[in-house]
Amino acid sequence: MRPSVPERAALAGLQLLLAAFVLLPFFWMVSVSLKPATEPFAIPARLWPEAPTLDNYVTAFRPEFRTYFVNSVIVSGATVAITVTLGLLAAYSFTRARLVLITALMSLVVLAQMFPHAAIIIPIYRMMRGAGLLNTYAALIIAYVSVTLPVAIWLLRGFLGKMPVALEEAATIDGAGRLRVFFEIVVPLARPGIIATAVYVLIVTWQEFLFALSFTATREMRTLPVGLNDFVGQYGIRYGELMASSVMVSVPVIAVFFLLQRYFVAGLTAGAVKG
Amino acid sequence: MAENPDIRVEVTTIPYPEYQQRLLTAVQGGNAPDVATLDQIWVAAFAEANAVVDLTDLAAQAGIGRAQFFGGAWDSAVFNGRLWGIPFNVDVWQFSFYNRALFEAAGVDPASIATFGGLRAAAERLTGDGRFGVGLFAHRGEDTVVVANSFIFSNGGEVLDAEGKCALNRPPAVEAMRYLQDLARFAPAGILNASSGDMRELFLNGTLAIEFWPALEQPTLLKSNLDWDFVNGTAPEGRTPVGTFGGWNLAIFDSSPHREAAWKFVRFMVREDVNGDVVDLIPANLKAAEAFLAANRRGPERILQHLANAHPRPLSPRYLELSDLQVRLYQDIFSGADVQAAADAACRDIDRLR
Amino acid sequence: MPRNDTLFHWLMLAPALAILGVMLYWPMLGTVIESFHDSSFIRPQPRFVGFEVYERVFGGRDFPHIVRNSVVWTVAVVLLQNLLGLLAALLLNRGLPGQGMLRAIVLLPWVLPGVVAAIVWRFMYDPQLGLINSLLLRVGVLEQTAAWLADSSTAMAAAIFAAVWKGFPFSALIYLAALQSVEREQIEAATIDGAGPVRRLVDVTLPAIRGVIVVNIVLTTILTFNYFDMIWVLTRGGPQSATHIFPTKIYEVGFGQFRFGEAATYGVVSILVLAVLVAFYLLATRSTAARRRTA
Repeated sequence: MRPSVPERAALAGLQLLLAAFVLLPFFWMVSVSLKPATEPFAIPARLWPEAPTLDNYVTAFRPEFRTYFVNSVIVSGATVAITVTLGLLAAYSFTRARLVLITALMSLVVLAQMFPHAAIIIPIYRMMRGAGLLNTYAALIIAYVSVTLPVAIWLLRGFLGKMPVALEEAATIDGAGRLRVFFEIVVPLARPGIIATAVYVLIVTWQEFLFALSFTATREMRTLPVGLNDFVGQYGIRYGELMASSVMVSVPVIAVFFLLQRYFVAGLTAGAVKG
Repeated sequence: MAENPDIRVEVTTIPYPEYQQRLLTAVQGGNAPDVATLDQIWVAAFAEANAVVDLTDLAAQAGIGRAQFFGGAWDSAVFNGRLWGIPFNVDVWQFSFYNRALFEAAGVDPASIATFGGLRAAAERLTGDGRFGVGLFAHRGEDTVVVANSFIFSNGGEVLDAEGKCALNRPPAVEAMRYLQDLARFAPAGILNASSGDMRELFLNGTLAIEFWPALEQPTLLKSNLDWDFVNGTAPEGRTPVGTFGGWNLAIFDSSPHREAAWKFVRFMVREDVNGDVVDLIPANLKAAEAFLAANRRGPERILQHLANAHPRPLSPRYLELSDLQVRLYQDIFSGADVQAAADAACRDIDRLR
Repeated sequence: MPRNDTLFHWLMLAPALAILGVMLYWPMLGTVIESFHDSSFIRPQPRFVGFEVYERVFGGRDFPHIVRNSVVWTVAVVLLQNLLGLLAALLLNRGLPGQGMLRAIVLLPWVLPGVVAAIVWRFMYDPQLGLINSLLLRVGVLEQTAAWLADSSTAMAAAIFAAVWKGFPFSALIYLAALQSVEREQIEAATIDGAGPVRRLVDVTLPAIRGVIVVNIVLTTILTFNYFDMIWVLTRGGPQSATHIFPTKIYEVGFGQFRFGEAATYGVVSILVLAVLVAFYLLATRSTAARRRTA
């Protein structure tokens, strides 16, 4: 049945309202990023700069930015790969094992997600130092894997729990090894869930700031979120360059997200439904 | 360092807002650098924690002494009678930067804002038509504390007295805070979450006639199209304005395995012919500062004079807690609280820190 | 279960559990131990003091504010974010023109780095320069500039609003996915029975995605409670303590004032408060589930 004309108009209006709510800050961000450094902020705020320029983007796209970008890609990429792999292994057993301890263990996984990072960062720093990992990619990757694993396990567990066990049982009866069953049946079926979890982990690690700041020392090892702070001084912010950099930082993730959107939605559904 | 080919220096620069956290994490994690710049207000805590090396004897042997530096900067590195750092750079809060065009339009004499009465009258005349006379800020940040301090210092008040007891509830300080409370009528709305950075944007777009900043603000203003100048803070009639010292000291960490090289490096950095090339504030070395200001800043003599008068903030290993209590007090005052009562309450908390 | 099966599952769980144990539980254990010691940067030799630091924390002038703010912040952000997320998902699930584009747009805030989002919002809220005041003045909602973040009575609400903007896309996404799995036939059957859109929503759709709602609320509660960037950049917990929550307090006490022992105590207390909050949700949903079953 088709909605009536007034109903459709109302829905279209709501859609516009939603888009405006979401886009206003972005619009502002882009507007500020195009404002020449010499043009002061107007009162009342001007929606669009008088003489838009790409100067801030030229400044922001420094050699350091490229280094930060590569670092972010390496760290986020490795984190996604490791978290999803380990999360998948664990989630599988969390749904399939009939171990006495399984519920308690799962509660511990959820509880781990509640630890405030500011309270555990110094002990983690000490361990990294003890292992000689400070100022390496490994330090960041290990830290990011740890903090993203609980949610990854949670999401994947929901997804795997919804998958029928019958297929696996049939394959086991055929004499296939447990690992083969896992890799040849479970993993392909779980692909939407895996992609969904991967995007979640990517978005979280791409933004992470506190660990990245603490565990890296040199400019050569910094990631993008820390690099953005080059434009935040002790007493003032260089808004134009900061906003231009922010736009550049966001674009890659947005691109990845749009490419994988379809899988992501499907994966989270399944993951979340089970809970 | 050409003279010391055996010393290799690895420099890590960290954006300010996170520097404190980054440095503390490293020190607590047993991975302190050999040398770091410490904000003047951290020195006492690092000394109390035995995290940095006592430089008293080394400095004496090397002939490095108070006379070569701004006195206030040197004093900020002395705690319990010992020297824990060498002054690296300095600045003073605050200079009153003013917009000449707005002053002319309102018919206000810029020199008048150097006195309490003059600033108030000027602020009143410069406020209106969407413009504001003076930029006040009281967000949770150290810039809040240093500006309020300078009004208190200029009025003859103190934060802590010679015995270390809170003096904020005594008449000179209370009077200065009442003055600020009244001045708030001519400041842009939102003082409680405003910072010096926010006031800068309003000053740059011509909405604000007077902003309070250290000399560090000059490069930004020089790049703008504004017609600006400054006066050295504000004091009651007949008194010289007293600013609040800010800046950084170089300290050597106790854990450093390269103390000798570190000490050579520190001496190199504060040398008369080097200091000016390695700072963004003002060199702490007096001679270097003269040359630096002449080359890089407007009104170098006035700046030197204001630096010579400036007071350091209290030297206490618990300064950061003290500073937080001061911010709360100033927020109370800018919310319209009774100044004496708020100061009494703040002093009770501050005295408990000892 | 056969023994090799048990072994297999333990091997599958081992890497993840080992990492969580070493990287999260071990440091957290250290933090718990530290919370019973009097230690700070200036007193590097920790002294065991039992519950003394806890007493100091509980007796602190800020403490009631921090607990209240944390609960208000978390509950408000979670409820609004989930409500808005659900409404957006319902809207985006209608097959209207321009839907694909809008679905993509809605997700943007989630993707924006947290610190940047916070800086943008602080600027939007600026009393003089901000876009919000200038729009509200133009349409006549405001008569004079409002200092949203500088006023104790509006600062928390402003922070919540910004956090909902940043967080609701994640909820919307999950709800959208869930709605797509609700059986069409069920809805059509209800329509034939004469149920209006509201009845259909309450009787068919919401019960069908109940599980998703619960999970979503628990997950966003945990993420919001520990969400540090937004408030830290907007207000640093001010004015006074109007927006101080546990994560900002932990950071301020530990790194801002060099008092690691007390920060550790705040950290432990914060986990307890969060656990109570989560348990409350779970109990509430379990009891409604039980009622549903008996009904």
